[in-house]
Amino acid sequence: MGTTVEQHLQQLDAGRRPDLPETTAGTLRLDVRSDGCTEHWYLTIADQHVRVTRSADDAELVVRADRAVFDRMARGELHPGAGLLRNELTVQGNMQLLMLLRRIFSGPRGARHPRELGRAALVGRAATPLRDEQP
Amino acid sequence: MHVIAGNVFAISDAQGDIEVDPQTPVGLFAYDTRFLSHWVLRIDGERINALSRDDMTYFETRFFLVPGAASHYVDADVSIIRHRSVHDCFHEKITVLNHSSQHAEFTVRMEMASDFTDIIEVGHLRQRAVQISADSASQRLVLRYQRERFIRETTVRSTVPAEVDEGGMTFRIRIAPEGKWETDLHVSLTIGGEEGRDLREDLQSHQQAVRTGMREDLSEWLDRAPRLVAERNGLEETYRGSLADLAALRYKPLSYRERVPIGGLPWAMGLCGRNGIITCLQTMAFTPELTPATLRMLALMQGGQLDDALDEEPGKILAQLRYGETGAFGDRSSALYYGAADTTPLFVVLLDEYERWSGDADLVRELRHPARMALDWIDDYGDLTGDGYLRYQRRNERDGTINQGWKDSPDGIVNAHGRQPAFPRATCELQGYAYDAKRRGARLAREFWGDPAYADRLEREAAALKDRFNRDFWLPQQDYYALALDPYGEPVDALSSNIGHLLWSGIVTDDRAEAVAEHLVGPRLFNGWGVRTFATGQRTYNPVGLHLGAVWPSDNALIAAGLRHYRLDVPAARIAGGIFDMAQTLGGAVPEVIAGYERSLTKYPVKLASGGRPQSWSSGALLMLLGTTLGLRPIGDNLLVNPAVPEGFGRLELLDIPGRWGHSDAYARDRSTEGQHRPRLR
Repeated sequence: MGTTVEQHLQQLDAGRRPDLPETTAGTLRLDVRSDGCTEHWYLTIADQHVRVTRSADDAELVVRADRAVFDRMARGELHPGAGLLRNELTVQGNMQLLMLLRRIFSGPRGARHPRELGRAALVGRAATPLRDEQP
Repeated sequence: MHVIAGNVFAISDAQGDIEVDPQTPVGLFAYDTRFLSHWVLRIDGERINALSRDDMTYFETRFFLVPGAASHYVDADVSIIRHRSVHDCFHEKITVLNHSSQHAEFTVRMEMASDFTDIIEVGHLRQRAVQISADSASQRLVLRYQRERFIRETTVRSTVPAEVDEGGMTFRIRIAPEGKWETDLHVSLTIGGEEGRDLREDLQSHQQAVRTGMREDLSEWLDRAPRLVAERNGLEETYRGSLADLAALRYKPLSYRERVPIGGLPWAMGLCGRNGIITCLQTMAFTPELTPATLRMLALMQGGQLDDALDEEPGKILAQLRYGETGAFGDRSSALYYGAADTTPLFVVLLDEYERWSGDADLVRELRHPARMALDWIDDYGDLTGDGYLRYQRRNERDGTINQGWKDSPDGIVNAHGRQPAFPRATCELQGYAYDAKRRGARLAREFWGDPAYADRLEREAAALKDRFNRDFWLPQQDYYALALDPYGEPVDALSSNIGHLLWSGIVTDDRAEAVAEHLVGPRLFNGWGVRTFATGQRTYNPVGLHLGAVWPSDNALIAAGLRHYRLDVPAARIAGGIFDMAQTLGGAVPEVIAGYERSLTKYPVKLASGGRPQSWSSGALLMLLGTTLGLRPIGDNLLVNPAVPEGFGRLELLDIPGRWGHSDAYARDRSTEGQHRPRLR
């Protein structure tokens, strides 16, 4: 996935997204602000698919923010919920659609699967069998 | 002294005044932020004293006051009434009454300030730069805090002319003989949104006005709940009080249109996954409307990515939502946090339980995807070492939660000798929840999702988990289940209340249930009021240790329900009786936790300073214990009533219990007034 919101949306998989609820449908418009101009991205979500177009049409949820904020969300560094609370992004319309951005965008790079911690614990024990168990 | 409306609440002293205390959350709070930290009324420079107070509802109070010290107010010819209410803002009407036969002149001053502290920082206060604009012409004082685009603003307006300065408002008044003077002080709380507008103005969910008809709302809430008729003195009042507490502890999240329960006053005035789910499970027979809103809200917030800082994984159910500044900026905690290992299986348990009571099949179909993701999470992300047990270990090592079950204090999981096991930890109750979630998930898959193959798989997995659990967690020498397993499969041998949750989940084999019950109501765990979190005689037992000896009503409600699942009616009634005694002895809202001291030693329940009240899962516990006492259980489209009433309770009637049967009544008597009872279908 790309490192900017544009790259991310351009490369977005047009196939089925099993992590999106099949009962959720809606339209989102992302208003990406930079240098005095605003780019509009229009996301149509239905049947576990996301269709991305460029349009300034009305949407059920409009999300506005600076490009840098969208870039951080696209890379998973900023949760949309936290962005909202910091007022780095503003929303108008059906807020329930905002949380879908968490799944449409990437997760943060370098995040660990919980099993890695489990494996590390078992390996640690095997390497030093006499280690005190207390942390 | 407090008034509450969802997550907006004000805590003051008995006079109605608010003054900063570095250790306790005093003030006007909303969305985890303090909007007023100082609110002190003076007449002619003097502080005032309370004569009496009328707590009208949870959101409305009147203080009756006179100036001066308690010793010389007897023939005061002036008195003051402060009438305070909260909804999405705070309102105080001040009335000054002149009781003399002459004109009287007074200087009334309200001192006002805010420090905009995030509630999580109480105890570690820091200075914030607050901009103040005082405007006498418009009778308005604005207090404002800004960090980047994060804005919080308090605006106080008076309905009568005032001299406004940076420290408050002064009113120089003259009152006719036997006359009165009034002003309304209206305090609005602004969460900065686009161009300084309140964020909430832009949200559909909040546009559907919050503040219309709170009184009607409360009386309708009470009317919708079943009516209790109890022979035992005071029980009806305690019941109605618990219902009112639950009404107070509902709020509308920013992203949602319906109200969900919050944790409780003062520390958890936002959505907590665990407390919310447990509260819904407890109140199913009484206030079922809490459940669909909670399930949908949690589904909306369900984890979508792997994120170490948030301890988030796909499918995981939220631990906590925080609106304060530190959460938004990730200074001390995050706005959304997922560090809980129990919320995800309990989400599935709640969905199934709700369908059993309500018959709401549409909701089960609507929430298939999140429920399926939650079930997948148990094995894909919850089984950290691959041994088939649900475990936890935080990835956010800076401020993530160390222990991620309901006993979440950092030192709450230890063995009988006080040693803490290594991570990842598999506490026993988590295995019970996972077992229950799989069994209930199987029922939902078979009956509603048209997926019998998946149902078979879940049932096989549940059966295998039960076998494995009974092999690995059972301590044959001690005759109870270990508190936890360490990552290497070694049992943590402490005797704890967690074993009661195992009964509630059904993972205990029938031949072991009685031994578990004997421990639960035995002298090491049972203190006369309820089951201690941690048994006496162990190294770290501490009667005032939150999870190392104290007694929690919420814990006890689940335990008593679990005992009745195994037909252990006598110990169940003993626990129910103890908690009812405790709640009625203390009066007021059921506390979150009391000390583990022997009842015979202290005679009176000892409250812990760290426990709050009201708490949704404590008020809910009282309702659940009533349901357990009556033995309420949905069987198909009927309500089964199978009472086990504590000695000395006499007659008990619960009328108009809502459910898929419409409304139904339950009647019971204790054994001393009735020779026998038998299950009755209505």
